[in-house]
Amino acid sequence: MPVRMVESPAPSTSSGANPGQTSLQPCSLLSVGQTFSGTQNVSSPQKEEAWRVNVRIQGCDLNHGYVCGTMEALNVPMADTPVVTFWEGEIVDTKNYTFFTNKWKATPEVDIDHWTKFSSFSPLLSQVEVDGGKSLDLSNYQYLFMRWKEQYFVNVGADCGLTIAGFYYVCFSCVDGSINGYYYDPNSSPFQKLELKTTNEGRSGFSFSSYELQ
Amino acid sequence: MPGSASSIHRPEGLIERLRSAAADGGDAKLKVLRELKNQIIGNRTKKLSYIKLGAVPFVVSILSSASSTSDSVIVQCAATIGSFACGVDSGVKAVLDAGAFPHLVNLLSHSNEKVVDAGARALKMIYQSKMAPKYDFFQEKNMKFLLSLLDKNNENLIGLGASIIIHSCETNDEQKMLGDAGILKRLINLLEGTTSQRDASLESFATIIKENPQVISEFVGPENGRTWGTLIELTKDRYPRTRLLACMCLILIKNAVPSYLQSVGIRTKLILILLELIDDSGQVGDEALFTLSSFISDEEGLQKLAFEANTIRKLCDHMQKELLQPKRLEGMLMILANLCSNLECCRSVLLQSPKLQTIKIITDALSHTTVEVCVAACICLKNISRSVKYLSAGHFMTEAIIVPLIQLLYDTSTSVQVAALHTISNLVVDFTMHKFIFVQNGGVKHLVELSKSMDSRVRLSAVRALRNLMFLVDSRCKEGIFLELRALSLTSLVSDPSACVQEQALGLICNLINGPVDSIDYVFTEDALLLNAVGRQLWSASKPEVLIQGMYVMCNVASGKEFQREAVMRQILPEASNNDTRSIMVTMLQSDVAQLRTAAVWTIVNLTVPTGAGALARVVKLRNVGIVSQLKNMANDPCMDVKLRVRTALGQTMVFGDFST
Repeated sequence: MPVRMVESPAPSTSSGANPGQTSLQPCSLLSVGQTFSGTQNVSSPQKEEAWRVNVRIQGCDLNHGYVCGTMEALNVPMADTPVVTFWEGEIVDTKNYTFFTNKWKATPEVDIDHWTKFSSFSPLLSQVEVDGGKSLDLSNYQYLFMRWKEQYFVNVGADCGLTIAGFYYVCFSCVDGSINGYYYDPNSSPFQKLELKTTNEGRSGFSFSSYELQ
Repeated sequence: MPGSASSIHRPEGLIERLRSAAADGGDAKLKVLRELKNQIIGNRTKKLSYIKLGAVPFVVSILSSASSTSDSVIVQCAATIGSFACGVDSGVKAVLDAGAFPHLVNLLSHSNEKVVDAGARALKMIYQSKMAPKYDFFQEKNMKFLLSLLDKNNENLIGLGASIIIHSCETNDEQKMLGDAGILKRLINLLEGTTSQRDASLESFATIIKENPQVISEFVGPENGRTWGTLIELTKDRYPRTRLLACMCLILIKNAVPSYLQSVGIRTKLILILLELIDDSGQVGDEALFTLSSFISDEEGLQKLAFEANTIRKLCDHMQKELLQPKRLEGMLMILANLCSNLECCRSVLLQSPKLQTIKIITDALSHTTVEVCVAACICLKNISRSVKYLSAGHFMTEAIIVPLIQLLYDTSTSVQVAALHTISNLVVDFTMHKFIFVQNGGVKHLVELSKSMDSRVRLSAVRALRNLMFLVDSRCKEGIFLELRALSLTSLVSDPSACVQEQALGLICNLINGPVDSIDYVFTEDALLLNAVGRQLWSASKPEVLIQGMYVMCNVASGKEFQREAVMRQILPEASNNDTRSIMVTMLQSDVAQLRTAAVWTIVNLTVPTGAGALARVVKLRNVGIVSQLKNMANDPCMDVKLRVRTALGQTMVFGDFST
């Protein structure tokens, strides 16, 4: 007998003593070792251009709203080899981080301009405009919102002619692991779109790995 | 012209005179006792020499005939005995063996105060040694006696009372009994006495409250305003030792009852006082290090305060400026370790310092001759390497760090081995594809050897290190590690008597077969020895952590080729010959542990990928053993991750039509 799935409700506004203090639920697709690949559109008015991008998750700590990994850009014109950067992410959990960035030259207006690019953000918009989403309960929401900030180049020098000054607004789907993002850097082309999907290294299913730090 | 030393100045001569004095008495006693005492005071070699020559029994013999000797002889006897006992355990043993103890106790009721003082001092020396007999607080007369010592206005008697408490109060019951008998109250009163009374009182006070929330709630804590206030005041005392002891007491109170000492102001002040005391080059400085280390060990908030108080800079300055005594170096390493246990900002300061000077000192300490320093260096490096950011930057996988750590795996001390294994566990996670440095330096061979240790702690740590080394390792290194480990050894680890070892071994196999799809072949070598071992574990284990890892092994195998998926089916479905028709998968799917349900559903997702040639047959089999209907029951699982995977799995099973009718 087929059963009807209860669709995930839109995030509610918390009330009571601990508004918005619920931790996010873990998502196995956003766990260490998982890889994603896709493109980043870096087109300018003069030229259509997209770089192939691979991402690997290296650390994830939901309690602290922290995620990190590497990003590999494959066909970067001015680089001889793929360029790998290490990035750290803030997960918007309304406990550690809200939708407002409050740094990296991003004003609340810039934040909302970027978040609204994600259709899954629409149900949240009105509350975010009020308080940055502080009072939202996102614990059962099927999308995770993050900010990924590249910290350093892993395999090339900082003088490689590339910049990592900006950061990404990211929306991660817990349903299928797809990632959408927009790069923000006041000095770069606006709204460079990042689109990634999970990869499985030639397998016909999902594979997992893990480590345990002491 | 100087002549040769006469025999009376040699130890043997003095012993001879002592023997005669003990036998004959007279003025000679006083002279020879004085001479002996002057020779041994502060001279460990002489003490040991006279103990060996049997001097102690003669002195005790003179003391035993105290009634017939003058007070000054008694005082000299007690002082000499005290000196033998001071700081030398074999001296304490000799004094106790010679039967001095009851004679010294008798002196405490002597009418002459000087005799009382000498007796009390000697007993105090004895009680400062671990060799001293345990004082039985449960005997009423003993408790009365102890109270009487603390009630006298005599510093030596109070000092003795304090030493007895510090030496003998060990259990919670003893602490409670001392509190109830009024000892703690008396000690609190003494906090307002002289410096020596204060210090003695603070030290024994610390002994009575240590790790005992009940006693603390009853007798101290902020609601006992006076005591609390006195302790706070004493942290500002002019004497460093008093300041240290007062800090220790407050920290013990906070450690036992975390709700106390919440004021950020007082917390910061304590950290600053202890940091200042570290500059003391003696025992106070050493103890201040360990006190600060214990203060910040379990609380990120305190670590942050210590970081903001510039602790790292201060310690680094000390470490770079001078060659430190082992105790001091150990204390500093432990503070750095605690600071880096949670806070990335602390790790960054150390890893971004010019020329990595402090990291070099920590690495050098790995080869220190003192066990405690080696262990502290390992713990420090382990906590620094909790940073994924710096692991990813390849800061740790260098020969300068790896080689001394591998050396420590040979150490005869298990605590050193385990500490080194913990550190290695972190370092080999390395994301920079430099794991080969560890392999090339013989690290894998040692880890494999230690994974067969009789000591389960060593075995567990070694297997965990191998698991982390196997995480995202390149194919060549993976093959090397597997060749060293062998399927058979790995099979034994999967069924190790310790469930924690089983869990790590299964995690290791997960990592082994992750990555390129042909990695899955490893579990099929030697007639699928490993896969069968994992399958057996899934049917027999009960610990969820073991089952989760075992399930992920099956999940990873099921992400491979058709024949591999079929092999997983054989492992998870009941055998036809078996009366139990229930699949272990149903049990896993019904588990209370969300992670286990997640792992089980992922396995089903992989088994039901519709593109596989045998997918339909597998779906039918899964339906026949009740797995599909169990999945339907989970459509609204409280765990979102489970719910989403169930949705995928059900979607895939329905590709072939709905079997529910």
